Amino acid sequence: MTPLSHYLIFSGILFAIGFAGTMIRRNVLVVLMCLELMLTAANVSLVGFSRAQGLEGVPVYDAQTLALFIMAIAAAEVAVGLALIVAMFRARRGVESSSLNTLKD
Amino acid sequence: MNPAISALLFYLFALAALVSAIGVIVLRNPVSSALSLALCFGFVAAIFFNMGAAFLGITQIIVYAGAILVLFLFIIMMLDVKSEDHTSGLLRHSVVGVLVAGMLAGMISSAALRLPGAVGGSCPWHAFTESLCSELCPAAASTDPSASELQASISAPAPYGGALPTLDPAKRGADAKLLGQNLFSHYNLTLVILGFALLAGCVGAVSVGRRLRRD
Repeated sequence: MTPLSHYLIFSGILFAIGFAGTMIRRNVLVVLMCLELMLTAANVSLVGFSRAQGLEGVPVYDAQTLALFIMAIAAAEVAVGLALIVAMFRARRGVESSSLNTLKD
Repeated sequence: MNPAISALLFYLFALAALVSAIGVIVLRNPVSSALSLALCFGFVAAIFFNMGAAFLGITQIIVYAGAILVLFLFIIMMLDVKSEDHTSGLLRHSVVGVLVAGMLAGMISSAALRLPGAVGGSCPWHAFTESLCSELCPAAASTDPSASELQASISAPAPYGGALPTLDPAKRGADAKLLGQNLFSHYNLTLVILGFALLAGCVGAVSVGRRLRRD
């Protein structure tokens, strides 16, 4: 009933919202959350393509395997990113990205 | 399930997911952002269930909403993050960010509507390659039957138009089994490398996050 293009448009808009969040927000924690949003949007389009290319009532599982890999890498990325944010909080007493101006002046 | 109800549920969940995703970037308190993100991931998991990817939906809930979001909340609690105040230049930032993101969304949407075989548009690149091929080798395309057959198989519209192919109801329950078979046969080496990547992330997080000694 729903064509593939609607899933892709949903995924594109979700990706764009995450992208806008990484540009607008100053809080590094929220920027990291928006990165997660973008990875999830990629997963939605992967699952959509796995359904569209499916044969005989079975989706193509290569795409879903890739989505699973993306989830695992996202978990590792969040662990490292949050450790970096904790280190940044210790060094700068804040999590605002505007406080990271060592290279600027 | 009735396809009409399934489509209606998809649009409902998609709208809810987009609204809660906007909430992530609009709400000023990071705790509210994190909870809004959890809501968004829940709706995306519902969309995965709707598309028949039950295992990925469960994984989405367990990994994202269960593990990653709790980690975020722990860090927000630990660091005592204040909610963002109105800083100068935020409006200009917002306008530029919304403009660029809107252009990105429009680009992706127009590309999605021009998929080969999609209704209401065809891929311009597809038509271009077809005309180029018939220009370069008109004789081969017209005389050799096997070549024209090959070309027909190449230029046949991909199954991207119309509704998605329906899933076999008998195989819906075997989703995790089929995914696991694919994961442990074709992508076994990749899975091992992924394990090393997780280990590296773990070690990296500990080494970055530990408190340095003063001496």
